[in-house]
Amino acid sequence: MPKIFIDGKEIEFKQGQTIIEAAKDAGIDIPHFCWHPSLSVSGNCRICLVEVEKMPKLVIACSTIAAEGMVVYTQSQKTLAARNAVMEFLLINHPLDCPICDEAGECKLQDYAYEHSIGESRFVEEKVKKEKRVPLGPRVMFDGERCISCSRCIRFCDEIAKDPELTFVQRGDRVTITTYPGEVMDNPYSMNVVDICPVGALTNTDFRFKARVWEMSATKSICNGCARGCNIDIWVRNNEILRLTPRHNESVNSYWMCDHGRLNTFKFVNDSSRIDSPHIRKEGQLVKVGWDEAFAEASSRLKSFSKDEIAVIGSAFATCEDNYLVARFAKSVLGTGHLDFIHHNDPSFEDDILRRSDRTPNSLGAKLVGVRPSKNGLDFNSIIKAISERRIKALYLVEDDTIQNDPEIENILAKLDLLVVHSTNYNKTTDIADIVFPASTYAEKNGTFVNFDGMIQRIKPAVSTLEADRALEGMAMSRLDKFGTRWDRWAQGVKFDARPTWRIISGLSSVMGYKFKYNMAEEVFKDIASGITSFNHLDYDIIGEQGFKIKASVLEKEILE
Amino acid sequence: MAEKKRLKDLSIWQKIYIPEIFKGLALTFKNMLKPKFTMEYPEEKFIPPASYRGRPVLVQEENGEERCVACGLCSRVCPALAIEVQAAETEREKERYPERFEINMIRCIFCGFCEEVCPEEAIVMSKDYELAFTNRQEAIYGKDKLLVPVSQLQDRIEFLRNYK
Amino acid sequence: MSLIEILIITLIKILIILTLTLLTVSYLVYFERKISAWAQNRLGPNRVGWEGILQPFADVFKLLLKEDIVPNKANKVIHSLAPMVALFVAFTTYAVIPIGPNVQIFGYDISLVVADINIGILYVLALTSLGVYAITFAGWSSGSKYSLLGGIRSSAQMISYEISMGFSIAGVLLLSESLRPIAIVESQAGWMWNAVVQPIGFITFFVSAFAETNRLPFDLPEAEPELVGGFHTEYSSMKFAGFFLAEYANMIIASALITTLYLGGWQIPYIEKLGLADWLVTVFQVGSFFIKVGMLLFFFIWIRWSIPRFRYDQLMNIGWKVMFPLSLINLVWVAVLIMIFN
Repeated sequence: MPKIFIDGKEIEFKQGQTIIEAAKDAGIDIPHFCWHPSLSVSGNCRICLVEVEKMPKLVIACSTIAAEGMVVYTQSQKTLAARNAVMEFLLINHPLDCPICDEAGECKLQDYAYEHSIGESRFVEEKVKKEKRVPLGPRVMFDGERCISCSRCIRFCDEIAKDPELTFVQRGDRVTITTYPGEVMDNPYSMNVVDICPVGALTNTDFRFKARVWEMSATKSICNGCARGCNIDIWVRNNEILRLTPRHNESVNSYWMCDHGRLNTFKFVNDSSRIDSPHIRKEGQLVKVGWDEAFAEASSRLKSFSKDEIAVIGSAFATCEDNYLVARFAKSVLGTGHLDFIHHNDPSFEDDILRRSDRTPNSLGAKLVGVRPSKNGLDFNSIIKAISERRIKALYLVEDDTIQNDPEIENILAKLDLLVVHSTNYNKTTDIADIVFPASTYAEKNGTFVNFDGMIQRIKPAVSTLEADRALEGMAMSRLDKFGTRWDRWAQGVKFDARPTWRIISGLSSVMGYKFKYNMAEEVFKDIASGITSFNHLDYDIIGEQGFKIKASVLEKEILE
Repeated sequence: MAEKKRLKDLSIWQKIYIPEIFKGLALTFKNMLKPKFTMEYPEEKFIPPASYRGRPVLVQEENGEERCVACGLCSRVCPALAIEVQAAETEREKERYPERFEINMIRCIFCGFCEEVCPEEAIVMSKDYELAFTNRQEAIYGKDKLLVPVSQLQDRIEFLRNYK
Repeated sequence: MSLIEILIITLIKILIILTLTLLTVSYLVYFERKISAWAQNRLGPNRVGWEGILQPFADVFKLLLKEDIVPNKANKVIHSLAPMVALFVAFTTYAVIPIGPNVQIFGYDISLVVADINIGILYVLALTSLGVYAITFAGWSSGSKYSLLGGIRSSAQMISYEISMGFSIAGVLLLSESLRPIAIVESQAGWMWNAVVQPIGFITFFVSAFAETNRLPFDLPEAEPELVGGFHTEYSSMKFAGFFLAEYANMIIASALITTLYLGGWQIPYIEKLGLADWLVTVFQVGSFFIKVGMLLFFFIWIRWSIPRFRYDQLMNIGWKVMFPLSLINLVWVAVLIMIFN
């Protein structure tokens, strides 16, 4: 492999890489605004200027192709002076807006001004005035004054979203960004420009002014919006999710996620429609009860049916751990083979960038861990049919809303003698359920999702439930979480009395006389790993933050079984 | 070798000690007759100088609006986590304002960091030292109690401009 | 006089002396606080009543209402006994202090002393040395290291200074040839006050009196900075108040003793030459006794707020190497005086 020298360090690089890419692979950070690893090179911000031996002038590291034996200095006198000068130019017309700006705290310009600038301005003239509140689209707000014209957002729309909507207009210090005439920036990936904007020029209308970034904790998790399973960070303050941002994973979602995933997949977690503690229907009304009472009721009522009268429906929204226990509960505790989960397919949602038609995060995982009918068992449609024919009298439904998909099912479910539901929020199915167990959401539990591609990925709790303590569970903690007490108003965030499905199942099983000895989701996963070929030899550490891909051959064999 | 003269070495009169006792007695007796420094608090109140750090307050402009833009720096720098700010958007030129601004006076330690870090000169330490509560809730001051017209805070603001 | 009459008269005397002492003790505390405030340019208590005049009552009520805490490891009986002993010793000593000459009231010849006994001074010495038991009991029974140290220091201190005190009194006794307090007072007629005749004895007795009452600069048994509170660290409520009152009662006794032994008691030199009515002379004489005692008390307080506490080794040095030899010198001096003038 060819080699270059950066700051005296010998570094190997791949042919065709630029200096900045070679440096990044070697862990050397060369400052940059306009360069983005997934976008084309534009080279207009000039902050990445570095000194290269035998070159007459400084060169920009982002568009200079590294060559064998090149000697690069990123910290030389000349480089630092150039960087300082570039910062001074950029700051000439940049307003001193940081107290108001949402980007403050994760702003590249702020960081570099701190690291690479002398901290004083010689500019005494009036700064250029531009429009400060321009809605570029329904979800993105633009502040002209803050923009440093790096063109990342323009290139994103052209190259990644494949929907050219933005462009520069005017010249010199009047240059600004706008949409093409008659266009609005409403492509399904538009909000990614907020993430890649190195300053606070583009802001998220949903999150604007809600919180400062340093007040929140970030938890690495997986988006539950579709079968892609985009890697995300969940940002939480006072036990409330405030925003989601994509997390880099080149083999799943690169740096991006869609607007639907970003906006519509987390609000139910802190919604007022969340179910708090178990409920039992008494005289037509759902009544709040304790866990023990709910378990006892569910156990005694389930036992009154014969094996063939009970059907169990798992969930493609629940984790592999949950579904694994649901499958074992159905087969070993209830002894029924009528086991399936509901597919949520929406072909109109799919595109060739990230979005998939399968709107659930874990349908492959549910299938793999055994949520499928046994030899003589019924699948979902047959179960519904059997209910309408009153061959099946009891239904155990996990984390799904059957009626939402097909309103006609409501009349069919009414024929059931017993409907037990695990649900995170109240919905049309809980409205007719006899026993409701409050399930933890994907943001409140440990577990794994398997995406459409066979990529096993970890989700981690970001929001704590009543029984979970942030510090003890090792959850991400902001400064306020660490030092707040229950008497502080800002630490009194709502905690729901909910449990992960696998824990509810194991609690109910032990009341019914079948003991699962699990204390943690990880222990359930260990059993999955030892029992199911696709998961063999895996544990949470091996999956890690970037996931583990099941080999296509193994996957194929298992699904065919 | 000659004995070293030490500060501690006493004269004969000091060694006898009795004259020293009378010197001490004379000193205390003189002081008994001197005017007293005691300030009889509830009737006579201490008016602190501009450098005094009383309870933190928010500056209210003459048009009735707060200066604060809810940047949250005071809340971040507060070593006792006494300050909570919730920002929101407004139509005014400064597009951000504190929808809720609360200082928990039980947590506050009067260090003045909030005032020091404030980029807008919007939170300053006042001269108010009369802080007594009968319950926890009462000790949490909201915007209603925190906003003080700028005219009443002039000398502190001047002090900050000179010495900050 | 019949026995009944004597009994009634004595009871009345006891009542008068007791109320007088209790009042003076509580107001002594008030004055202590006032004088300390003045010496430090403060105002002192001035909220309860005019110029804080009701402060002592407020203090007593507060102490009464406080919880009485007895430590778990304390010896409960002795712990309760100690303040009683302290108070008992303090008050019984008043019995032999004469506050004036004999007076005629309703035809009775009454001596202004509760018990005019011929071994009065011995009685005082006996009782004051009993006082050390109160402190030692308190220190030992509290089950606390601070209390124990305070108690031990106290007994060592008392023993050391009792000796020079005894020898100083011996000088007085040589001159008066009696142990009866009234006789001692009468022996100091005119300007023949013992303070004038034997100044060294006066000083040694005075210093020993400070040490015996545990007042600064000899308050090592309490020594707040090192021993928290010394022997009374573990006391609260009225038991603490008991020690507190005893300390001030002891101060009054010490002042009264100094007055009796060295300052001519109730006597005003040459007052009989002014030719005043007898009753007026008596009033003046009683008044002079109280004024002398009062000035001594002021001096006690004044000293406390002027002079810092001695170190323990210094205390012992002064006791054995200075006060004891000085009191012996005084004894020789008095003996020589008697040899020359007799």
